[in-house]
Amino acid sequence: MNQLTDVLTAISHPSRRAIIEQLSAGPARFTDIAKPFDTALNSVTKHLKLLERGGLIERRKQGREVFISFRGAPLRQVAGWVHEYERFWNTHLDQFERYFTKKKERKQQERK
Amino acid sequence: MKRSMQTLEFKFERTIPAPPGEVYVAWLDPKIPGNPWHESDKLILNPVVDGFFYWLIRGTPHYGRFTEIERPHRIQHTWMSPNTLGVESIVTVTFKKKGVDTLMTLVHSGLPDDDLAKSHEKGWNYFLGLFPNQFGGSRFKRKT
Repeated sequence: MNQLTDVLTAISHPSRRAIIEQLSAGPARFTDIAKPFDTALNSVTKHLKLLERGGLIERRKQGREVFISFRGAPLRQVAGWVHEYERFWNTHLDQFERYFTKKKERKQQERK
Repeated sequence: MKRSMQTLEFKFERTIPAPPGEVYVAWLDPKIPGNPWHESDKLILNPVVDGFFYWLIRGTPHYGRFTEIERPHRIQHTWMSPNTLGVESIVTVTFKKKGVDTLMTLVHSGLPDDDLAKSHEKGWNYFLGLFPNQFGGSRFKRKT
């Protein structure tokens, strides 16, 4: 797999996105990251491995403890893709939906 | 030389407050806001199987060939633009009855996963919203 695919895989799971959001506030220890999750520790370990493979986190040893921090740079690789096509279709579909919603509202007002 | 290329797929869903027949017709009518043909510098649209479209918007050409037309349930066509790098991506739109409304699903698949096809700068707003603490942007809710 190339790095873009690894990054997309890493951000495709809600738990991993939650970890990223948590780490975007600053580095944390494994136990801190695992705390909000109601799952087995090895499941959190697996999520971290996938984030690491996508280059979205890095581990740094400080004394006896290992701190995990977020790296935003790999997201730049997927940003264009995610945005370019999602923005295009979301904009059009929102506009299309609004057209019908307004049309329905007009019909309802005419009936009153 | 044989080149293999990873592809990407995006899926979108909307509930449209109208029956499938009406939504289907509107999707192919350039006068209706929101469908891809509504705004254009030049448009040629022939929505029949093996019919072509040419859509020029802000100087960027898009081409495609309709491959499936099943009124009022399904439309499929190819989609080529500078961003698809000469690859025929596929757009599939389905219209399913959902009570008195229509569940409209659009899948854009076969988009090449290639560095040349990315426009990095444009994408940053998405992540600025997703990670406000990291990037200092404001949060917004993503619609899919």
